[in-house]
Amino acid sequence: MINAVLVFNNAGQPRLTKFYTQLETSVQQRLISEIFTLVSNRPNSACNFLPLPPLLASSSKSSTPTTPHNDTPSLVTYRHYATLYFIIISTSTESPLALLDLIQVFVQALDGLFENVCELDLIFNFETLHATLGELIVGGVVVETQLDKVIEGVKAQGRVAKRPVNEGKSGLGLGGFGRGEGVWAGR
Amino acid sequence: MFEKSLYDLIRGLRNHKGSEKEYIAESIKECRKEIRSNDMDLKSTALMKLTYLEMFGYDMSWASFNVLEVMSSPKYRHKRTGYLAAVQSFRRDTEVLMLAENQLKKDISSPTPTVISLPLGAIPHVINPSMANSVLSDLLPRLTHSHAAIRKKTVVTLYRLALVYPETLRPAWPKIKERLQDEREDPSVTAAIVNVVCELGWRRPQDFLPLAPRLFDLLVEGGNNWMAIKLIKLFATLTPLEPRLIKKLLPPLTKIMKETSAMSLLYECINGIIQGGILEAVEGTSEGEEVARLCVGKLRGMMVMEGDANLKYVALLAFEKIVCSHPHLVSQQQDVILDCIDDPDISIRMRALDLVVGMVNSDNLTATVGRLMRQLRNAPIASAPDDHMNDRGRTSGVVPYAESDDSDAEESLRHEQRSNQPPPLPEEYRVTVIRRILEMCSRDTYANITDFDWYIDVLVQLVRVSPATKAETEIEDEEDIEDSDDVGHGIGRQLQNVAVRVKSVRAEAVDAAQSLVMVDRRDQMFPSSGNGGLSVLEYAGWIVGEYASYLTQPDAVMTSLLHPTSAQLPSRTLAIYLQAIPKIFASISGNDQISWTPERKTLMTLLMARIIHFLEPLSTHPSLEVQERAVEYLELMRLGAEAVSGTAAGDPHGDFTDPPLLLTQAIPALFTGAELNPVARGAQRKVPFPEGLDLDTPINSNLHSLLAQAELEAFETEEDDVYAAYSEPPTSYLGATAPQPISAAERLDAKQQKETTSYQNAVEEEYLDADIIARRKAERRERYRDDPFYIDPDAKQGSGAVTPLASIVRAGNEEVDIDAIPIMDLDLGNGGGNSRRASEQQVPRTRSPRKAPRRVEIMGDETLGPAEGEASSGREDIVASPRRLNSGSKVKRGLLEVDSSSLGALSLEDDDGSGRRMTKLDIERREQEEAEMRRALAEVERKRLELQRMSEKVESKGEVAVKRKKKKVRKVDIGGEELENAEAVVGEIREDEGEKVVKKKKKKVKKPEEGEEVPGQEGAVKRKRKKRREIMLDEGGVESSVQD
Repeated sequence: MINAVLVFNNAGQPRLTKFYTQLETSVQQRLISEIFTLVSNRPNSACNFLPLPPLLASSSKSSTPTTPHNDTPSLVTYRHYATLYFIIISTSTESPLALLDLIQVFVQALDGLFENVCELDLIFNFETLHATLGELIVGGVVVETQLDKVIEGVKAQGRVAKRPVNEGKSGLGLGGFGRGEGVWAGR
Repeated sequence: MFEKSLYDLIRGLRNHKGSEKEYIAESIKECRKEIRSNDMDLKSTALMKLTYLEMFGYDMSWASFNVLEVMSSPKYRHKRTGYLAAVQSFRRDTEVLMLAENQLKKDISSPTPTVISLPLGAIPHVINPSMANSVLSDLLPRLTHSHAAIRKKTVVTLYRLALVYPETLRPAWPKIKERLQDEREDPSVTAAIVNVVCELGWRRPQDFLPLAPRLFDLLVEGGNNWMAIKLIKLFATLTPLEPRLIKKLLPPLTKIMKETSAMSLLYECINGIIQGGILEAVEGTSEGEEVARLCVGKLRGMMVMEGDANLKYVALLAFEKIVCSHPHLVSQQQDVILDCIDDPDISIRMRALDLVVGMVNSDNLTATVGRLMRQLRNAPIASAPDDHMNDRGRTSGVVPYAESDDSDAEESLRHEQRSNQPPPLPEEYRVTVIRRILEMCSRDTYANITDFDWYIDVLVQLVRVSPATKAETEIEDEEDIEDSDDVGHGIGRQLQNVAVRVKSVRAEAVDAAQSLVMVDRRDQMFPSSGNGGLSVLEYAGWIVGEYASYLTQPDAVMTSLLHPTSAQLPSRTLAIYLQAIPKIFASISGNDQISWTPERKTLMTLLMARIIHFLEPLSTHPSLEVQERAVEYLELMRLGAEAVSGTAAGDPHGDFTDPPLLLTQAIPALFTGAELNPVARGAQRKVPFPEGLDLDTPINSNLHSLLAQAELEAFETEEDDVYAAYSEPPTSYLGATAPQPISAAERLDAKQQKETTSYQNAVEEEYLDADIIARRKAERRERYRDDPFYIDPDAKQGSGAVTPLASIVRAGNEEVDIDAIPIMDLDLGNGGGNSRRASEQQVPRTRSPRKAPRRVEIMGDETLGPAEGEASSGREDIVASPRRLNSGSKVKRGLLEVDSSSLGALSLEDDDGSGRRMTKLDIERREQEEAEMRRALAEVERKRLELQRMSEKVESKGEVAVKRKKKKVRKVDIGGEELENAEAVVGEIREDEGEKVVKKKKKKVKKPEEGEEVPGQEGAVKRKRKKRREIMLDEGGVESSVQD
C-alpha cells in the first residue's frame, strides 16, 4: 500500500503532505527534508526510485531479511515536473512502474482541473490539491486511475478556482487559462 | 479587526521576505483568536490557514476541538475544511477523537454523496479499534450505495478498518465478495476491490483461493492494466497454495508478456511468474523452458536497454527477489549486474550492491571488491559541514519562505524535468559499501577468500576511505555500535577476526594493526579529513597487545600507545590501550636470556617511568573501565620499578646476571597462557556436566594446608612451563622476522621504484594506495624469491589473485606432492635463511592439521557437539552474528508502517468451527471493549466539560453572558448525544444485524425468532446474541437450511 504522498518544490518547500499513518509533525518534516536532500541531488539520467532515506532505512533494517515483510515501506518513487517533485512512499505490494504512472495520472488530473497547471495553482488551491489526491488514493489504497473519473469526482465537490489573476507575473504565454473565471474562492 | 483569508496569508507570506517566522507567529496568533469566534466562516478560514501552516511543521494540535466544530457545520465547504484539518492534524493521542466518532457516523449516513466521501476519506487516518467497532455498522450499508464512487471508497475504508479491528471483515467480507463477483459492477469498484484483496492476500492467501476463478476471468478479460498488475501480484501469492492454478495461469501470462505494450504489466508478469514459483513448477517441460527464456530474456533486455534507468532498477529488484531461489538465472546475468555497481545512479548502485553480495564466490570476489574499492577511493570524502547544510530538517524546521522569483512557480507542470547536477557519493552509500565489502569477504567464515594478505590490505585501505562519523557521542553499549554509522568497528573486528582465526597471516595482521596504531603514521593511515575510521584503533590496540610478540617495532608501538594524544581517545579505545600497554611491556622486558646489564636496567627503568607517567593521570579518568585498568597497572608498574631498582645490574662484559623475576616471569605470566580461540555462540551452554560431579562435599578435609603446599610446589614445577610458554613464540618468530630489516630496506627501495614505474601495472590494484601496493610487491618478491614459477609482475601484468600453483606452493607446501611437479625438484626443506616460507615451516604447528590443501587454514568457532539451530552461526563471522541476534529480539514497528499482522489471525472462512469459537470469544471481548469505551467516553466528557468550564471562566471576563449561555446549551447537546450513543452502542449492533436479516429475504424465516429474542430477559441476552452472530456469519449454512 501507499504510505505517503508528498509534493514539494525545487527548494524543498512542501506543497502537499499526506501520510497514511499518523506521524509526529516533527518526524514528518524530517522525512520530507531527508527525501528532499536525496531527490535534489539526482542527475537527469538517474532512475525515478530513491534509496530509502535514513529515517526509513533504519526501521526497515530492524526486520529480518529472511521473512518478506510487506508492511514496511520499501520504495520511494518520485517524478519531477517543472518546479515540483511528486513523491510516493510505498510498500512492496505496489508495482514500482505503476506508481510512476499513478503520479502521471495525478499531475494530468491537476492539469485537467487547472488548465495548464503550475506550482502557483497548487499553492493557492491546496484544498483542491488534497481533494484530487483523495479521489485517487483513499487510506493508502488506489481507488481510481481513470483520469476523467478523478476530475469528475473533484468537480463534484465544488468549483475549482484558478489562482488569482493579480498573483505572479503575466505574460507566461502558455495561454488557455481562462482568466475570466480565475476568481479566487477566498472566503 | 483585520481578517485574513488563506489567500491573504499566502500572499502575505510571499511579501514578508526575510521575516517569515515573525509573520507566521503573528498569523497563528490571529488564527487563535479567529478560531474561537462564533462565525463559522471565520472559524473555518482560520482552520484552513492553520492547516496550511501545519504542512510546514507548525503545531495545530491545540485546535483539535475547533476542528470538530468545523466538521460538524452543516455547510459542505466548512465540513470539507474541517475534515481536511482532521486528516492532517489528528494524531494517535488526539483526545477529541472520541467525540469525532458521532460526527463521522452522522456524515456517513448523509444523503449527499460528496458529504459521505468526507468521512470515508478521513476514517483511514483517524481510526482506532473502539471507533472502528462503532462506525462499522454505518459503513456496511454504503457498500451498496448507488454511486460507484462511494462504493469503491467504502471498500477501501473497510480495509483500513480491518487493519485496526480485524473483526470488521467478518460482516464486511461477504458483502465485498458479493461486489467482486458481480459482473455488472462498475469497473472502478472492481479495481478498488482487487487492490484491497491484493493487500489482504499476502497475509491470508488461503482465504482468497475460492475467488480464483473470478479473478482469473478478470485477468483474462483484460482492459485494465492497473488491475491486471494487482491480479498478477495476488496470484503470485495464491499459486504456492494451489499448484493447479499454475497451468491455468501460464497461457494468459505468456500471452500478456508477448502482447502487452505496457512495460509495467510486462514487468509484473515476469515478477509474478518468478515469485509465484511458476518457474519451478514447469521446469523440465518445453513450455517451462520457453517461459524461463522469455522471463530472463526480457529482464536482461531491461538491464541493457539504453536510456531507461527505471527499467534497470526494477530488473535489479526482480533479480534480487530470485537470487536465493534461482541463483543460476541470476548468475547468467552476472556481467550486466556487475556493471550496475558502477552506475552513476546511486539507487541502481545500491540495488546492484545488495544483489552482488548474494552473488560473490571465490572467483569474482577480488574483482568485485576491487570495483567497489575503486569507487570509494576515487570519490572524495564529503566533509561533515556540507552534510549539515543540506540537512535543514535536523537543525530547524522548514520555514515557508518567500520565493524571490515567481516565474518558476508559474512554470507549467506538463513537462517532466530533471536536474543536471553530478551525483556526490553520499555518506550513507559509503558506509553501505564498506559494510557490504566486509559482509562479502567474511561470508561463511571467509569461504570466498583465497588470499588473506590481500584482505588485510583491503581492510587497511578501507580505514583510509572511511567516512567521518557524525558526532563524538560516546557509544557505550554494543547494540548501538552495530547500528552506528561508524564502520571503523566493523573493519576493526574483521582485522581482529583474521588475526585470531588465520594463523598463517597473523604476522601480517599484526603488522597492519601496528601501522594503524602508530601515531606518527596516523596522517597516512586514516582519512585526511574527519575522524573516520578512528574506532578501528580499539581493535588494532587489542591486536598489538595480544600478539605483542609478533610486533616488528614494539618500542615504537609502545611510544604511540603512551603518546599524550592517546589519553584523549574515546574511553572504550583507551581501556583497550591500557590493557595492551602491559602486554607489550611484558614482551619487551620479559626476555630472561639477556643479561641484566646496566644498559638494560636503565632502559627498563625509563620505560616503566614513562608508563607510570602515562597511567597516573588516568587513574582519575571519568570512565570506570579506564580508571580501574589504569589503577591496576599503575600498581603493577610501580612494583616493577621497585624490583628493577632493587636488582643490581651485572657487569656488561662479565657473567650472566639474572634479570628480576618480576619482569621475566611474573608479569609475562599474567598475559601468556592458553591461546585465545574463537568460541561459538552458545558453546558454553553445551559443556557437558561431568558425571559424578559433587560440589557439596569437600574434596579433602585438609584442603587448606594442601592448597598451600601445592602452591609452593607448583611454583617450582611450573617454572619450566612458564619459561617454555613464554620463550617459545619469540624464538620461533625470531626466525620468521630475521629477514625483516632487509625487507624493510627493500620496501623503501621498492617504494621509490614504485613512484617511477608503478602505474603501468597498477590496473589490478589501483584501488589500493601506493604504499600498500609497494609493500605488497616487496613482500611478494620476497616470498617468491625461490619460486621458479612466479612471474614477476614487473615483467608482465600480474593477475590479482595468486596463481593457483603459487598458492599451492605457499599455503600447502607440506602436502604438495613434490614429485608430481614436473621439471624441477623443489627442495623446500632448506630454503635458505631469508625465505619466509622456509621459516614458516619451522614454526611448530600444534593445532589441527591442514585439511584443504589449497585453502588457508581458518579457525572455526570452537564448540561442542553439533551446532544447534540457533547456534548454527557457529562458523559465522563475529561481525554478523550479533546483528542478527539484535534484529530478532528487537521487534520495532517501522516508521510509516501500517501493521497488518492482526489480520493474520483472522479467518475469513465462512463456515468453519474455529470461526465460531472465535465469535464467542469475540463477543465477550467486544462487551469488555464496549464497557471500556463507555467508561472512557464518560471520562472524556467529564474532562471536556471541565475544560469548557475553565475556558468559559477565562472568557467570561471579556464576553457577554448571552453568548456563553448559548454555547453551553450546544455543548450539553453534544454531550447528550454522546452519552446516548455510548449507551446505544450495544443495542445498535444488535439492531443493525436485525435489520440486515430483514433485508435478506432468504433469512426472513429467522426474523420472528429474532423479534422474540430482542425483548428477552437480561440473563438470556448473552446467549442469544451469540446465536444471532452465528446466524449472520453462517450465511451459507442459513441459506441452505432456508431453502430446504
